[in-house]
Amino acid sequence: MHDIIAPTIDFQAKARDLLPDNASYDSCLSCGLCSSGCPASGFDGMDPRRFLRMAMLGMNEELSNTPWIWTCTLCQRCTYVCPMSIDVSVLVGYARGNWPKDKKPQGIVRSCEAQMRFPSTSAMGVMPEDFVEIIEDAVEELHEEDDRFETLEAPMDKQGAYFFINQNSREPATEPEELAPLWKVFDYVGADWTYASKGWAAENFCMFTGDDEAWEEMVKQRVNAVNELGCKVWVNTECGHSFYTLWKGVERFGLQADFEAGNLISYYAHWIREGKLPVNSDWNTQGLKFTVQDPCQLVRKSIGDPVADDLRYVATKLVGAENFIDMQPCRSANYCCGGGGGFLQAGMNEQRLAYGKRKFDQIEVTQADYVLTPCHNCHSQITDLCDHFEGEYRVIHFWTLICLSLGILGKNERRYLGPDLAEIGLSKDAP
Amino acid sequence: MNGPDPTGTKVFETEVLIIGGGVTGTGVMRDLALRGVNCLLIDQKDLNAGASGGNHGLLHSGGRYASTDEQTAAECKTEGDILKKTAPDCIDECGGIFAAVEGDDIDFAARFADHCAAAGIACRSLSPLEARELEPSLSDKVFAAFAVEDAAIDPFHITLGNVSHATLLTDSTYLPHTEAIDFEVVNGAITSVLCRDSRTGESVRIRTKQVVNAAGAWAMNVAKLAGCGDVALLYAKGTLIISNARISNGVINRLRVPGDGDILVPGGTVSLLGTTSDNIDKLDDIRPTVDEVDRILHEGIGMVPGLENTRFIRAFSGVRPLLQAVGADVDGRKASRGFRLFDHEDQGLSNFVTLVGGKLTTYRLMAEKTGDLVARRLGNGEPCKTATTALPSGDAVRWTEPGFAPRYWYKRSDQSDAILCECEMVPQSAVDEIIADEYGASKHMSLRAIALRSRIGKGSCQGSFCAARVTSHLYDRDIYVCDEGREHMKDFVSERFKGVRPVLWGRQMPQMELAEALHCGLMGLDLLGEGGDENDDGNADLP
Repeated sequence: MHDIIAPTIDFQAKARDLLPDNASYDSCLSCGLCSSGCPASGFDGMDPRRFLRMAMLGMNEELSNTPWIWTCTLCQRCTYVCPMSIDVSVLVGYARGNWPKDKKPQGIVRSCEAQMRFPSTSAMGVMPEDFVEIIEDAVEELHEEDDRFETLEAPMDKQGAYFFINQNSREPATEPEELAPLWKVFDYVGADWTYASKGWAAENFCMFTGDDEAWEEMVKQRVNAVNELGCKVWVNTECGHSFYTLWKGVERFGLQADFEAGNLISYYAHWIREGKLPVNSDWNTQGLKFTVQDPCQLVRKSIGDPVADDLRYVATKLVGAENFIDMQPCRSANYCCGGGGGFLQAGMNEQRLAYGKRKFDQIEVTQADYVLTPCHNCHSQITDLCDHFEGEYRVIHFWTLICLSLGILGKNERRYLGPDLAEIGLSKDAP
Repeated sequence: MNGPDPTGTKVFETEVLIIGGGVTGTGVMRDLALRGVNCLLIDQKDLNAGASGGNHGLLHSGGRYASTDEQTAAECKTEGDILKKTAPDCIDECGGIFAAVEGDDIDFAARFADHCAAAGIACRSLSPLEARELEPSLSDKVFAAFAVEDAAIDPFHITLGNVSHATLLTDSTYLPHTEAIDFEVVNGAITSVLCRDSRTGESVRIRTKQVVNAAGAWAMNVAKLAGCGDVALLYAKGTLIISNARISNGVINRLRVPGDGDILVPGGTVSLLGTTSDNIDKLDDIRPTVDEVDRILHEGIGMVPGLENTRFIRAFSGVRPLLQAVGADVDGRKASRGFRLFDHEDQGLSNFVTLVGGKLTTYRLMAEKTGDLVARRLGNGEPCKTATTALPSGDAVRWTEPGFAPRYWYKRSDQSDAILCECEMVPQSAVDEIIADEYGASKHMSLRAIALRSRIGKGSCQGSFCAARVTSHLYDRDIYVCDEGREHMKDFVSERFKGVRPVLWGRQMPQMELAEALHCGLMGLDLLGEGGDENDDGNADLP
């Protein structure tokens, strides 16, 4: 039994309010498919089926106070496999919001507070003027370092640009050298794009605190930023939940978005098919093996298998079909790595790593040298898992490999590559 | 037990043999034990196999009978108050309302308060708005409503508690699956009763000073077996349906002349809607039908419209044994709900008593009157103590309460204590406790006996998973050997299916398709040889 810290929710009544009639808690078959595929099963004696059954048995006080809600990453694998399509994560999210702010995992709360502080909506507290300056500096540096890109631009607040590109705070805040590969891709395909000084940040931890108002506020600021610039397509970069939080937020809060929500992976695939990004796997003479982590937020929770197909299309073009090995299960049935739902920020490292063991084992079975993932949280967590469980693999972004394949990856843009790829594609006179 | 006699028949000796393990029989057992009397209770099946298990679990305020049967109504009030005091663990004092909706008899509704006052029943008039605030599921066509002191009662907890307490007090014994087949009478007194163990076929002889016939619907048959033709019963079959979730806060009664589908009672985490009343003349093969379910629902929806989209998980039936007075009306609902004690002295027997009729709510009073007579015959001067002595709620009898097992399990947070029943969250430790502590039930605990003493099989999956898991657990505990467990499992799920079948639509349909895939497709239970009928315990479980 846990301490009473939160007001008691009537979960059965809430389930009736928040879930569709034919997929509410009353439809549960007790079959346990949800629990058997949930990496959070077993923590605090809980699993998705137990959560639901306890709700049906009226154990509202226990459910209102169980810390398990912070171990569940809201990945919705349970919903995906449920024969009745019951979404357990809705009430887990609701229960999160019901906890008093000072009892919630403070890392998530602080990240949300940082987002609320400046119009950047950045969880790492990067202010608009700082962002503009960092981008300018990084562009300048690129111009100096590689004369092939001396005319490359990273437009800021460009009215009427076709693409509005968001940006995970990690790069501007801590690894600015990782910014350029993406710009090089845009440059290569001749995309008409812009950053914005306001509402540019990708991440949204407010959503993970269960505070719907804060989630809405963040999405509003971002939607307004895109509307103001009159862009046609908002594109999330390689960050899984940034897509979900906006795409779902617009629907959930009934916001007016004068643009389409696009995802970068599908654009990569589109440009490759069109011949604008003539990537190939010729560089992979060592036969290095690659696998892909499907970000739950982008695949299962948002677009589904079409984007999983695009991920594989891009990956096999880049590394060679014979060098690509899928994890099992994968695509929409993929397991969450344990980096989602704010788990990385929650300060529950022991549980987070135990949760991720299932992902680590999946990766080990593929014997992959590299894990490709278009998600910053997956990236961090899977890297952590490798360190903790003493794996051998490395985790990389797609933009790194695209630029590598095209021979335009700079020397200082290789922090995630191993020694096996450190020199590949570097022209002799390159910086 | 006193060892086998020269013919190999097991012999038991007791002061009082009680036939029938329902609330009444076990109530008499505890009543007498509290007076220091040793009893032996037998049942042809197991506890609450008849009407005691096949009912609403409603502790009547008396309102239901206020308009038609003032005496029964008053008894309900008095007895209800006593049970609320002495057996609070078995009772949910949820309160109740009587509500009349458009189309119901306005005059009947108007006279209700006066009838309640005449019977001494507390009743408070509610405006339609107040009624719907108390019970949001109530129809918006309500025109008259009254709040009463109805409550929900767990008849399994009561019965198990009675047996447990009697065992503790006077070392009284309970033998399940033991059917009386012959009475030995010497000089106008029964000296022993010959019984048959329906599981093993073995004979059992019980030597006794007094015999109490509390066999409920079977009481007339037992009386005839003892040579008494004075007990005339009317059988009224009643069917109820169980929802997957609790629908109302308290009891909702239709304020009109009693009819089908007019009472909705919360049973912890579920609700029970009923009943029908159809006269029958045979006690074999009592099972709910689609027609009965349709009737209950059709009427119930008028009172609680949400019932139309409610998921029901099972139907079950019980048989009301009603006293047939000379020239009485044959309508089961109009027959008296009073009870009667037959001393059978005019039938030439001096130590045989039969009690019939009555209600769950008044079982204690029936037991008291019976106890008084039997004690007097035994020369025992102890007064009845059940009106003031609390019913102990021991470890092994607490598992029938909905929601108890999961709370217990969650509080203990022992991860090694595996959950066997996922719907009702019954852990392994509960099953082990029932096996270890359950007085008398049977040396050989079966899946069905465990289900009777817990919530196993009563959730939405209706045994789809727990039947296999508990059976496996019983193999692990060396209780089942060879094919026996699988056969018991087949019996168990077949029995549950009898009740599920008439409510098989909507959300219960995929549930049962899954059950079919598991039980037939995976385990091949349908290919297992015929059998199990002799283990048939009837509709013995009130979820």
